[in-house]
Amino acid sequence: MNAVRDAADEPRGDVAADAAPTAGQWRRSWERLRRHVPALVALAMLGLVVLLALLVPLVSPFDYATPDWDALYVPPGTAHLFGTDGLGRDLLVRVMWGCSVSLLVGIAASLVSVLIGVLWGGTAGYVGGRTDSLMMRMVDILYTVPFIPLVIVLTVLFGRNFLLVFVAIGAVSWLDIARIVRGQTLTLKNREFIEAARALGLSNATMIARHVVPNLLGVVIIYATLTVPTVILFEAFLSFLGLGVHAPLASLGTLLSDGAHHMKSHPYLLTIPAVFLTLIVCSFSYVGDALRDALDPRELR
Amino acid sequence: MLRFLGGRLLIAIPTMLVIATLAFALLHATPGGPFDSAKVMPPAIQHSIEAKYHLDEPLWRQYLRYLNDLAHGDLGPSFQYRNTSVNELIRTGFPVDAVVGSLALATAMLVGGIVGTVAALRRNDWWDHVPMFFAVLGISIPVFVTGPLLILVFAVQLHWLPSGDWRGGEIRYLLLPVTALALPYTAYIARMVRGAAIEVFTSPFIRTARAKGLPTRVVVLRHALRPVLIPVVSFLGPAFASVLTGSIIIESVFGLPGIGRYFLTGAINRDYTLVVGITVLYGALIISFNLLADLCYGWLDPRVRLQS
Amino acid sequence: MPRTLDPSLLTDVDAQKVTDDLFEGLTTLGIDGAIVPGVAKSWQVSTDGKEWVFHLRPDARWSNGEPVTAADFIYAWQREVDPKTGAEYAQALAPIVGALDIATGHAPLSSLGADAPDPLTVRVALNSPTPYLLALLADSYMQPLPRATIERWGDDWTRPEHWVSNGPFVVKEEVIGDRITLAKNPSYWDAANVRPTRVIYFPVETLTQVSRFMAGDIQFSSIFPSSQFKWLRSQLGNQVVVGPYLGIQQLVVNMLGPPFGMNRDLRLALNLALDRRILAGKVREGIQEPAFSLIPPLEGYQQQVPPWATWSDERRHAEARRLYAAAGYSAAHKLRVQLDYPTGEDNRDVYDAIAAMWRTNLGAEVEPYNEEFRVLLQNLRLHKAVLFQNSWIGDYPDPFTFMQLFQTGFDQNFGGYSDPTFDGLLAQAAAEPNPARRMEFFEQAERRLNEDGVSIPVMYYASRHLVKPYVKGWQLNIQDRIVSKYMYVLEHEGR
Repeated sequence: MNAVRDAADEPRGDVAADAAPTAGQWRRSWERLRRHVPALVALAMLGLVVLLALLVPLVSPFDYATPDWDALYVPPGTAHLFGTDGLGRDLLVRVMWGCSVSLLVGIAASLVSVLIGVLWGGTAGYVGGRTDSLMMRMVDILYTVPFIPLVIVLTVLFGRNFLLVFVAIGAVSWLDIARIVRGQTLTLKNREFIEAARALGLSNATMIARHVVPNLLGVVIIYATLTVPTVILFEAFLSFLGLGVHAPLASLGTLLSDGAHHMKSHPYLLTIPAVFLTLIVCSFSYVGDALRDALDPRELR
Repeated sequence: MLRFLGGRLLIAIPTMLVIATLAFALLHATPGGPFDSAKVMPPAIQHSIEAKYHLDEPLWRQYLRYLNDLAHGDLGPSFQYRNTSVNELIRTGFPVDAVVGSLALATAMLVGGIVGTVAALRRNDWWDHVPMFFAVLGISIPVFVTGPLLILVFAVQLHWLPSGDWRGGEIRYLLLPVTALALPYTAYIARMVRGAAIEVFTSPFIRTARAKGLPTRVVVLRHALRPVLIPVVSFLGPAFASVLTGSIIIESVFGLPGIGRYFLTGAINRDYTLVVGITVLYGALIISFNLLADLCYGWLDPRVRLQS
Repeated sequence: MPRTLDPSLLTDVDAQKVTDDLFEGLTTLGIDGAIVPGVAKSWQVSTDGKEWVFHLRPDARWSNGEPVTAADFIYAWQREVDPKTGAEYAQALAPIVGALDIATGHAPLSSLGADAPDPLTVRVALNSPTPYLLALLADSYMQPLPRATIERWGDDWTRPEHWVSNGPFVVKEEVIGDRITLAKNPSYWDAANVRPTRVIYFPVETLTQVSRFMAGDIQFSSIFPSSQFKWLRSQLGNQVVVGPYLGIQQLVVNMLGPPFGMNRDLRLALNLALDRRILAGKVREGIQEPAFSLIPPLEGYQQQVPPWATWSDERRHAEARRLYAAAGYSAAHKLRVQLDYPTGEDNRDVYDAIAAMWRTNLGAEVEPYNEEFRVLLQNLRLHKAVLFQNSWIGDYPDPFTFMQLFQTGFDQNFGGYSDPTFDGLLAQAAAEPNPARRMEFFEQAERRLNEDGVSIPVMYYASRHLVKPYVKGWQLNIQDRIVSKYMYVLEHEGR
């Protein structure tokens, strides 16, 4: 370990530079975002998927539940754009519904877990000491709660409420973000600018809001975009346990796991939902990257 | 430092107690017991089985009995696998997961780290967009797709590699499961490293170092690596613990005799001791790896003052 | 993965597949699944059908060289019903006098109606004529056990290093969760006719079995996903094997309350509105056969197929709608029920299809709901479920194993059906020594069930295997108990 460091190597910064953006800087963020081409494309794709997900079920002559016994496992073609599944149900409509469900669950659950995670981890890291220890030990404990029995007990206690899906997912996904945020906060709070701000007499709340959080945003955003696909696939696992969307409605995750069974025989049942899931995740990733770039306090100087 | 370690080890004991208690309570809260089946058996036999496994005792006494056994390192008999103890199941299964998991994460750290760093250095270049696209694929294609796909291509079609099985950990049998398990983690790490590296590369002290004319390699390795690793380390702690207690899907797709699937079958069959036993193991791993991660923070960023 | 290799304690099919190669009872299975002499070379039965005498062959040996004696059977059976053993399927011995009393703790072990007057003779006393006794004797719960080994090693007696068994094979090695290796038992009385020298069992998931089979790493799979049937047939041709299995997939209704309790018209309406041929032919791609009545095809028994099974679809649907209306339901007042079925089976498509059929044909709103198995079991025991899956696999090739399901007071009669006429017919069948007349009583009983619409049969189960073309010496049978001893591998190239 190199204990002696060149003075010039020390991360030096001034308070203002690493602080929360001012109005002018917000406008500059927006400008940068607007010019970030891949992100715009990604946003457009996402918008398109959302639009299709909402419109197609209204416009299509098929619905997601009615079987067609004469049209089982039809590959994509003119009558059925994406083909049909094992019960003759139109895959296009089912995938569109699946996108709606998965986007809803993915975004909502990710937002909730990010919120809890940032607050929990940020507080633990910032306050430090025994509070940090206690809060992080609680995180350790929550990591180990056996998930399947937990879900079973929840379904027995609360029946088959769709809200339970969010509770179950939320209960688990905020833990990683909390740890990451805490880790970042631990290093941030010892930077010069923080000490300087403290010397200026800023309150803890202001410190956290205007100095700590903006520097966390980058990592949080990236991790949030990583959470979305995990959440979506997790929901499929939950429906295996009896929680989640009611059959015959399917989410992208459910369509994917059903499709995996037919990987060799009817590959389109797998590839089409996979393409949509990838598209969604891709969009979130690029938008996340762009947001990260745009909101990076140091880039705005 | 020693005080920090001592404090953490001390608090590990009540933490483990809470973990074991919570798991025990949760398992017993689920309806049905290990010896429920569709074919109902005569009550006398049910009582006899329950007596043999102490399931007829009041819950608090079962709990205390369990804690006592736990303190002696005995995780109890398995209820599903009638002539086997939980210790034995874990003893035979854990090494499998340990080998596959560690190899997978080590690969992920290496490959992901390199790919992410290069992507950050060559931002918005092909070296960034192409690997990042593959990273997105790695995140969005689940293991229950990549696993069977790998088997389909390499085992069924090409006959290059076996389609599964453990064989004591022979390399040929490890290649596919390790690859399948490593893919999503590689993708995660690549994206996280890239994100963190971008932040670090644009920070003033890095700019200073570069302005001083230091070669990129030196800049990266000596100065940038440490701050970049911090979020990765946070993520890796629980990731290691989770991967070492087995991935249910990898085990079932490749037929590996690990302990991951015991978690699933144990929960479904109400094998209380097996599930609590694995949870206790998982808890020990989580505590250890998170502690390791905290120690790493201290090493990576000396200004982080570790308190207990 | 087999939960135990102790034949008297096993509860899962996986375990039985392995123990069928390791132990042999008084009777055993032939290559076609027929019951043939095992340790017993001959037997007699009294005229009232309640007393059997079995003569053991003198050259039957345990794998450690000790002779297999009548006492080994008595020991095994007593141990099975002894409550202290905790054998979950002890009631398999129910036909034997005293068995159930002992199992419920009301009688001493010695009161079991089986004894060994000399080392080569076993006498069995039954409660009533039991034509399927010979099949029961081939089952794992009635196989002999090595007393000395068990008394010495206790729970560890099934470890490979202590292993003793009397069947064609012994356990050579067990790697938990990975494989079980069996080697030929040189002391087995028929060892000369046991063809394989080694059998390796791999406990592997269904989907994985397909990959392993196609890669050539396994030669005989115990199952394959029914949804891949057509595709596998196109790829593997005759290596894909399906046959009838002694089991029925059926839905049962709750007779104790609304909406089905007092409403026979409603029960029958749902029954008629189900398009079973589509379910079997299209959703299950022809693997399974449609079921219109309770008992699967069984030798010696005449299936009581209800008349509407052969009607045209239009006529059947029209009658269903008439019954639905007569039951008090209409477009304005739809039937809304939940259909409970256990998680983890390949069945989501089937139930989605059933719900869709009832919606199209009747206008009823039935919502399939998959529940974790034990949660469902609890709901069934408390009679909370209104419409649920209550599939049944026959324990032995006789109608009684299925009929029992609807007997008043039977533990798994989750629908709560109770009909004195039906119970009476079962009692008469039980007391009847003449096999043909006994079957007639069952046939009457089944007609009664059909009229009452107590259950909604859906499909009969099928056994499915993938078998390499060079593996011979096996045949399908309705209980899907295929033993390894007759199998052999032809010389072949490739995998």
